[in-house]
Formats: sequence, C-alpha cells, structure tokens
Amino acid sequence: MQKSWNLAYTRDLLRELIMRDIKLRYKRSVLGIIWSLLNPLMQLLILSLIFRIVLPLDIPNYNTFLFTGLLVWTWFQTSLYAATGAIVDNRELIRRPGFPAGILPVVTVATNFIHFLLALPILLAFLVISGIPLSSALLALPFLFVVQFLFTLSLVYFIAPIHVRFRDTQYLLGIVLLLGFYLSPVFYEASAIPPRYQYIYRLNPMVTLIESYRTVLMQGRMPGIYSLLLLVIISMAFMAIGYGIFNRARSHFAEEL
Amino acid sequence: MSSPIIVENLSKQFHRYSSEKKWTIQEAVLSGFKRDKSQDYFWALRDVNFEVPAGKMFGLIGRNGAGKSTLLRLIGGVGEPTEGKILTSGRIGALIDLGAGYHPDLTGRENIYINGVISGLLRKEVEKRFDEIVSFAELEEFIDSPFRTYSTGMQMRLAFSVVVNTDPEILLIDEVLAVGDLNFQQKCMDRINLFKEKGCTILLVTHDTNLVANLCDEALWLNKGRVAACGPTDMVVMQYTTAMQTETQKRTSESKTAKVIDDGNVLEVNKNRFGSFEMEIQDVHILNSDNLPATHLNSGEQLTIELEFCAPEIVTEPIFGITISSEDGTVCCEASASVADFGQQRVNGSGKISLEFSRLDLARGKYFVDVGIYEKEWTYAYDYHWQVYSFNIGEGNRNNSLLDPPQQWKFESYQD
Repeated sequence: MQKSWNLAYTRDLLRELIMRDIKLRYKRSVLGIIWSLLNPLMQLLILSLIFRIVLPLDIPNYNTFLFTGLLVWTWFQTSLYAATGAIVDNRELIRRPGFPAGILPVVTVATNFIHFLLALPILLAFLVISGIPLSSALLALPFLFVVQFLFTLSLVYFIAPIHVRFRDTQYLLGIVLLLGFYLSPVFYEASAIPPRYQYIYRLNPMVTLIESYRTVLMQGRMPGIYSLLLLVIISMAFMAIGYGIFNRARSHFAEEL
Repeated sequence: MSSPIIVENLSKQFHRYSSEKKWTIQEAVLSGFKRDKSQDYFWALRDVNFEVPAGKMFGLIGRNGAGKSTLLRLIGGVGEPTEGKILTSGRIGALIDLGAGYHPDLTGRENIYINGVISGLLRKEVEKRFDEIVSFAELEEFIDSPFRTYSTGMQMRLAFSVVVNTDPEILLIDEVLAVGDLNFQQKCMDRINLFKEKGCTILLVTHDTNLVANLCDEALWLNKGRVAACGPTDMVVMQYTTAMQTETQKRTSESKTAKVIDDGNVLEVNKNRFGSFEMEIQDVHILNSDNLPATHLNSGEQLTIELEFCAPEIVTEPIFGITISSEDGTVCCEASASVADFGQQRVNGSGKISLEFSRLDLARGKYFVDVGIYEKEWTYAYDYHWQVYSFNIGEGNRNNSLLDPPQQWKFESYQD
C-alpha cells in the first residue's frame, strides 16, 4: 500500500502478474502458444473463403488485409473480454493487504498484447509472401501499439468495476463486441461505407486504428498523425474518468467479491 | 514516536445483499435502477478505538462473526472503513488467507516469486531471500513441483515462509498458527518471537484464549462489532472467558447496577468488574497491623486483605485469588486459595476470607489489589474486581525497583 506505485516495484509486480497469466494459459496445454494463434488463423480461413470465393470483395492482398484487421481486433476484443474477469477472477489478490488493484487492468491489456506480439511474425510472413516490401514505416508500429494500448486500457477501467457490480456485463459486452466487429473495417474496407455515413462510422476509434495499421504494414506509409493524436487525447480523457470510477469502486471490491 | 497502528472511531457497514446474490444489469433495468436498500445494511464494526504500541503483540479475541477478521483486513488496507480511520506505518505482512494467491498449477518456485512481489518485495529481493524461504518451509526437494501436488501442510508452510521472510514491520496474523506439524509450529512461534524482539508490531486474531494469554502484551475483545474490553491481556482474557461462560449459563450480568465503594471508586460491570455472579464479593478491606482500614502503609509493614463474599446458591469449591500489582500492571504478588484447602466443599450464604502478609517489602508507590472468586477449575470468574482497591506505600526508597526489603550496607576498606 505504501510503496505500491513506486516505479521499480510496479515494474516487478507487472512483470510477475503478466508472467503468471501467460504461464497459466500455456501450462497445461500441449499446443501451448499455438492456441493463441489458432483462433485468428481459423477466422482468417473462414472469412477468406467467404469473401474471396462466396462473396468476392475484390481487395488486393486480401489475406494480409484480413489478417491485419483480425489481429488488431483480436487484441482489442480479448482484452475487453478479459476485463470482465480482471477483478472478479483475482479475488484472492484483491484481498491481499496492500495489493494495488489498479494494476490489474494493465495486466489484462498487457497479457493480450503479448499474444498479439507473438502472432506478429506470422503477419510479417504474410506480407513477405504477398510481395509487400517491409518498409521503414514499420518503425511507426510501436506508436500504434501505444495508442491501441491506451485506448483499450481506458475501456478496461470502465468495464472491470462494472462487472464487479453487475455480473451479466460479459453477455452484454459480447453483443456490443459482435456489433463492433461488423462496425469496424476488419474484413472490408472503410471506404465501402457510403459517404453520408462515413462521419458517424468514423466515430469508432477502431476504424482509425485498423486503417493506420494497414497504412503502415501494407502501404509502407506513415499513418495520419492527427486522427491518432486525437485518439490519444480521447483515450487519456476516458482513462481519467475510467480510473476515477475504478478508484471509487475499488473500496467495495473486497466486499462485493 | 506514534504507534504503528492507530484505529480511531472505526465503523464498517456491510450491504447484506452482496453475500446473497449478485445484481445483474437485467434486474437493474427492470427495476428502474432502484433497489430496496432499507434493511440491507448491518454494522460489522462499530466505534472501535485502539492503538497498538510499537513492538507490542496485540491479541484480538471474540466469537465467530464478531468482526475480528473484518478489522484485521481493514488494517491491512483491504476495503475501506465506513466511518473513522486507520493509521498504519510500516510494511505490513499478513498471515491472512494463507495460500490465497498461490496458484495450484504453478510450481513452488514460481509461486514464491509472485507472492514475494505481491507481498511488497522487489524481484531481486525475492531472489536474495529465495533459499531462506525454501529452507524455512523445508521444501527443498519439491520446489519445482506444481503447488497442487503439495499437501495442505506444505502449502501453508510455504505461504507462511514467504510472509515471514518479507521483513514486515507490522505483522497481521489470522488464526494460522496451527500450520503444519508441531515441529513447524514451534519454528513459527520462534520466528514470531524473533519478530517481537526486533520490534515488529504484531496483531493476532484468534479465539484461542490460551494463545493470546501466552503471547500477547495487550488484548482487545470484540463483541458484535464493538469493543467489549481492551487492556492488559490477563484481564481481557479472563473477562472474555467469564462472559462466554455466563452466556452458556444464561445468566444476565448486565442487570448488576454500578456500585460506589467507600473511597469513591465506582464498581461497574464490564469495566472494572466482571463475572457470572454466582458468588459475589461484597466488600474488600485493606487493613494495617492494627486491623484498621488503611490506604497508606509503610514498606515492611504487615498487611491484611479481607474479602466479604456471599453465595446466594450453593457453590462448589470456589477459589479465591488476590493479586497485588503496581500501577503499570506488573504483578508483584499473587496468592490463591481454594475452599477445599480449609476442608470444606461448598459455600452457601455469606462469609469472610482474609489473607495476611506478615510483611510487605514493596517500594514506594501506588499498588492495586485485584480480587476474584473463580470456578474450581479456574475456567471463569464468579466475580472479579480489577484495579478497584488500592493502597500507597509511603516511606522507603524509590528506585525503579518493586522491592524494598530491610537492608544494610557494610563498608570496609583495606590499605596496604
């Protein structure tokens, strides 16, 4: 409690908690790390079959296009799903004296970020196979990671305490995320949305994010900096509110679990 | 220096619903976000005040549901008080829910690192203490096996070992001393004593009154969330056991009204008087060598303490106890006698018993005479008056000593 936000200590605590999550995920499965890759790969297979053969979308390098969208979306989605369990599933940690509960959402997003990173080489392999050159624009990727991390984290700070109070949050979240999947340019191009709806459509921050990733990876260009900076500002504002709510709810965690 | 643990006007209210059923968004929407909360609250703790001085061991006793564990958790920073505040200073080590936070699928080694860091250590500090933690837990051979393969005793040993190796300045212990085999328990006790010597402040929650009596300097008895008694361990423990006994006998001791005694002191149940009152101490006289009531005596003078008692119903072999203690609670002299010692088996009606000290070589100061009548096995008190009667020793030396026996210096000097 006294030294919980001390930098060196926070780093160590984060590291241990993330390692714990990752070790647990793979401890008792033979396939291990492959599990986290299997899900986006299966989705890739299905969607690719549909939109290349059944309903052709006519997007160049569709597999790479699709896989980029899928990986980015998967990191976002799994983090939010895991957010519902961030507090509830760590009951015994919350009840440890002096445990800084505020670190748990960070662990949630970070753990899923690591799965995302592990899948990244496959995406790069897709690029190479498709004949897309790996350009210096890839250096902008870490910046995109940070933006997505912040945005996701700000939402996790909202969701985690809500789920402590309302235990059916995850079902509602499931519906919202399903909707979000179709409202984000994961398997289609954002430009396919009619111009008069573009304004509303682009309120979804995932549109900016996924497009930025594609700009960097597939076109080898720098992403539009202004919309990303705007997203950072929005994320910070969300974070401030979310963290405030989280902190107020925190004193009740121990009782409500 | 202020005390490491200060609890001020602490109250904690709980929602009753949280333990029964989780609320859902569906219900919230259907009920228009209104919820009948009128009867959903109860106080788990009410107006609790106490301080634990640095380096002391403090016992919290009370029955199940009295709020002991809630209090301990709040002190550990888990949850927030509804009213009042808790001030703690120093790294807190907690032996609460031992084994929580230990994941069954991770190895002992992995669990040590995670829990060491969760307990407030840096990773490299854990690394440095790793061997010590393992050897204290006696788990060298199994440290790379999954935690789930450990026996309960092994799991507890490991959890205990991690906490005691984090150098806590405040140690919170909740009923976990019965860890492992006798040998390990002894090791735990040794370690706790070592902490005490090093100036660690310890808070122990238990309903084992013997444990509290043996270990703690001070104790607090919580009854239904309120402080029933707080002070020197012996007094609190005796009061607690007596109350437990009284309750089983369905006797109401609350009905006794406060009584003013000769010197203006007030005798009040559950404050300086407690017992089941199957027998009562009617009056206490402190008499000097002339058999006259005295409040001032000289060191080395004769002193008689006389107890008038009454037993409304037959009581078998009660024990009378008299303790003379100094103002700070140090026991100077303790004596007890059973009715059986006088060749009798039971007492009924009133009577008198006296204890004569042919001389009392106490140093100058104020002394309390605590008197009690106890059940024949000492399990509880029929009536006990604590720090009610006193006398002063007026003459003689006042060093930091308790005794001032007749003395004489002799001096010889040899010169070559």
